[in-house]
Amino acid sequence: MKSKIILLLFLFSAAFIYAQTKKIDFVQYKLDNGMNVILHQDDSTPIVAITLLYHVGSKNEDPQRTGFAHFFEHLMFEGSKNIPRGEFDKISQGAGGTNNANTSQDRTFYYQVFPSNQLELGLWMESDRLMSLKIDSVGVETQRKVVKEERKQRLDNQPYGTIFEETFKRAYKVHPYKWLPIGSAQYIDKASLQEFVDFHSTYYVPQNVTLSIAGDINIAKTKELVKKYFGDIPKGTKEIKRPNVVEPPLGGEVRDTVYDNIQLPLVLHAYRVPAQGTPDAYALEMLTNILAAGQSSRLYKEVVDKQQKAVAAGSFPYFLEDPGLFVVYGIANMGISANDLEKSIQSEIDKVKKDLISKKEFEKMRNQKETEFVSSNSTDLGVAENLANYFVYYGDANLINTELGRYMKVTREDLKRVANKYLNADNRVVLYYLPKSMKKN
Amino acid sequence: MKNKFFLMIFLLLVSVASFAQVDRSKKPEPGPAPEIKLGEYESITLKNGLKVFVVSNNKLPVVAFNLVIDRDPILEGNNAGYVDAAGQLLRTGTKTRSKDKLDEEIDFIGATLSTSSTNVYASSLKKHVNKLLDLMSDVVLNPNFKQEELDKIKKQTLSGLAAAKDDPTAISNRVASAVFYGKDHPYGEVETEATVNSITLDLCNQYYKTYFHPNAAYLAIVGDITKAEAQKLAEKYFGKWKPQDIPKGEFATPKAPLVNKVGLVDRANSVQSVLNLGYPVDLKKGSEDAIPASMVNTILGGSFTSRINKNLRETHGFTYGAGTSLRSDKLVGQFSASTTVRNSATDSAITEILNEMKKIRNEKVPDSELQLTKNYLTGNFARSLERPQTIANFAIDIERYNLPKDYYKNYLKNLNAASSDDLLAAAKKYIKPNNMYLVVVGNAEEIAKNLTRFSITGKIDYYDIYGDKYDPNVKKIPEGVTVDKVLEKYVDVIGGKENVEKVKDRTMKLKGSAQGMDVVVEISQKYPNKIYQTVDVGGGVFKMNTVFDGAKGKMIQMGQSQDITGDALEDLKGNAMDGMLDYSKYGYKTELAAVENVNGQDAYKVVLTSSSGRKSTQYYSVETGFMIRTINQISTPQGEATQTTDMDDYREVEGMKYPFKITQSFGPQSIELNVNSIEINKNLPDAMFEIK
Repeated sequence: MKSKIILLLFLFSAAFIYAQTKKIDFVQYKLDNGMNVILHQDDSTPIVAITLLYHVGSKNEDPQRTGFAHFFEHLMFEGSKNIPRGEFDKISQGAGGTNNANTSQDRTFYYQVFPSNQLELGLWMESDRLMSLKIDSVGVETQRKVVKEERKQRLDNQPYGTIFEETFKRAYKVHPYKWLPIGSAQYIDKASLQEFVDFHSTYYVPQNVTLSIAGDINIAKTKELVKKYFGDIPKGTKEIKRPNVVEPPLGGEVRDTVYDNIQLPLVLHAYRVPAQGTPDAYALEMLTNILAAGQSSRLYKEVVDKQQKAVAAGSFPYFLEDPGLFVVYGIANMGISANDLEKSIQSEIDKVKKDLISKKEFEKMRNQKETEFVSSNSTDLGVAENLANYFVYYGDANLINTELGRYMKVTREDLKRVANKYLNADNRVVLYYLPKSMKKN
Repeated sequence: MKNKFFLMIFLLLVSVASFAQVDRSKKPEPGPAPEIKLGEYESITLKNGLKVFVVSNNKLPVVAFNLVIDRDPILEGNNAGYVDAAGQLLRTGTKTRSKDKLDEEIDFIGATLSTSSTNVYASSLKKHVNKLLDLMSDVVLNPNFKQEELDKIKKQTLSGLAAAKDDPTAISNRVASAVFYGKDHPYGEVETEATVNSITLDLCNQYYKTYFHPNAAYLAIVGDITKAEAQKLAEKYFGKWKPQDIPKGEFATPKAPLVNKVGLVDRANSVQSVLNLGYPVDLKKGSEDAIPASMVNTILGGSFTSRINKNLRETHGFTYGAGTSLRSDKLVGQFSASTTVRNSATDSAITEILNEMKKIRNEKVPDSELQLTKNYLTGNFARSLERPQTIANFAIDIERYNLPKDYYKNYLKNLNAASSDDLLAAAKKYIKPNNMYLVVVGNAEEIAKNLTRFSITGKIDYYDIYGDKYDPNVKKIPEGVTVDKVLEKYVDVIGGKENVEKVKDRTMKLKGSAQGMDVVVEISQKYPNKIYQTVDVGGGVFKMNTVFDGAKGKMIQMGQSQDITGDALEDLKGNAMDGMLDYSKYGYKTELAAVENVNGQDAYKVVLTSSSGRKSTQYYSVETGFMIRTINQISTPQGEATQTTDMDDYREVEGMKYPFKITQSFGPQSIELNVNSIEINKNLPDAMFEIK
């Protein structure tokens, strides 16, 4: 459904171009108003993906207005100067298109995929809501209700649904990552119409957006159309606030229990780790392969398969633009206590800290990574999104062709080193999710 | 300076010029429609009957193999879950590879290999394709099911069932299937702890041996591979697979209900209701109705701009999203409307969904909406072709559902030929707002009352999370609670064993009113079970004395005396002052039968059976331990009748607690009596209880 919040922002999938893989060619330039444009031509299917990455997410929010960026994303579908309320999706679907958007801590991402003869329509629609979004009380009031139901559906009425909210609020004390994009319903109720108007004129401006288009397009013609619809949108004049907060070290293990409507206990370790794109982040991501990729991975093999302590156990990096988290978790099998499960998980973490992984396991992990890269970028939408991500976060869209090299630089020693540097008790939040029935009165 | 000035003018001109070019008030016209070309596929049939479809696409150096078993549905009955378990067992080792070895080899080449009861999927980079097929064919041809692996799977499945108990969406899906199709149908049967525990290795082996044969399978090969390469590989790795006929299954096709029926799964902590409103339909893939019916579904609830999503989300703000699905199926398909709404909007959301269903049945779809739908579905079709798997799926469907070879080539033509009359006819046939099961998972206390209006009988069927109906007033007995514990707690709360034993006689005086007249009752009891009771209604309008000496009993009614015999005498005998300490002493068997709701509180239901087989029932509050109700069968001249006695307001009298408010009902009549006094151990003379 519309307006997904990305809860698990895995390091965006990218493509390494191995010898036999085709290089992804693209054209990149900037309009006079500061808008960045990336174009990639692929005629294999007569469709086109039009994406806009606005560099604003929940980390840009006022702590008294959490959930604002995501809420605003909903408003972007409520109509603009030339597209009346309720018409946006009709026009999109009526042209054979599909569209959606999502909001993370760092960005808000909109996309539409059309038959390729509707490129101009898509540019018209996107430029209209960038240039002259209409914000009125009808739209705001409706979306207030919708977003409250979205929160309930995703978090409050869902077993373990609050897990990231509970994790992040303990992992960060000062950085805006301490709240999630979905935010708090109460703050959205407080926001005034003027605040929404200000938000648009601050963040929804050409210099804060990257337009990335991939598919069956003619590059020269597309450049003309982009200029036609986006060229005359004035540059924003307000200061774009980017949080400049350095979260201090956690300063000791934070351990807590959440009682939820669940049957099986869940154990989660969230370690504080550096930002995406740093050398250590690549090493940590490789480490999650060792721990959790495939049925021969250590957590699965030991904790799920051999010891049968968990129905699921794994690990994933929750990398963000600013320093993020490295998550290790397990959901207990019936009759297994959280404590018991945690010991088994911990023992796997201890092993990667103590022993260098074998050459064979290292090679396996590299092979897995290679397949992951080569298999991504199979759709126009995926290519457009990856190009935009690489450009916005790392300043280099060409990483779509070269990033695998960064992974391949990681050594076995690096894996052991980062495990010892980051996967320490005083650098983590430990959460137990337990059935409400276990709560002592 | 000059340069800068020039630059500014230049910029100004550019911006004016480009501004003049754009008339943003007009929606741009589309360019010429691109040709939507369906990728080609090649078909090969191996000698053993395996049908292979090859879709060559060299965009990525990846090849995927999808083996699909085409069989009829299976009713698993008391072993529900064994078919799934067999599918999982396939991935747990072969005759020459242990699970560890298999896992290691798959991961080493960075491949994916997954199995289910009807499919095996494997993919990898092209350079590993030989190794991949070596592994895949080993899994398909030489599996080795082991008890220890089955035990693991069962354990995981049981944990999964436990986890699903708190997942409202999982509950909704399971219960809706059980309600729509019935639990004795392959599509409606439900896995439970009991059925999973009864899965045997033998059943799993039997499943594999019966159904995994090349003549019942399709193999789709998609990716960076030519037909010649694919054929060679298919023959090399699957050529030796032995064919064998597989059995057919015949099942009834469940029908939509005659009237709307409401089914409710009570989930007390829900802050939203999960709605699943639907019914089985008879709709086959490729039939004449299939395209117009799918268009009706798209308009009603099949996309973001659909009527139901627009209504529930954008107009009313009840939900984050709402939609419908219309599934065609060889055996029996399904229509369902589903959404998740806040508790207070539950009934309004159902009303709106039903209204939209009625509207699409009664009114032609306007031309503009019809055209929009055609465009949307055309776009969907075009976009789906980006994935080469789509072509492979088309190939399998054509074979599986016996569709014309050019079915998908003609799909867009047929889609665009559908008229609003065709849609209206399809809507009348497949959209049934008056023949639905309305399955709701939510907080019964908050929503049940407003759901009754959707049921003609005003009745709601309550379902547990396994899709079994139950009476909401009856609850499960918690583990560890026994009848002895219930009675011990009762003795405890009324004063303890010692105090109960101390009571040798007791006289209780009660007063109340019935039909406007005063009722005065006096009951004297002497250890163990002697009774003398007087009842006076309306100050002498009606008088009755009952005497029981421990063996014989007599009733004197308005001067007429009558011996008490039979069951009534039996009941008196059992009415001992210390019966609760040990009913067996008086020949009674006791049984803890249920937990039921009595006057708003949960109560243990204890059934007493006398030596002659007479049954009576007592209820003990789960919370306080007090006896709060008894139910007795009474013989009357008109036959057996039920007498219910409720007890409340326990107060202490000389170390013992007694109910001070007693409400007795007998058929439609009820009398409320309040205790005026209780006197204990006054040495009542035996003569008082003599039968004269």
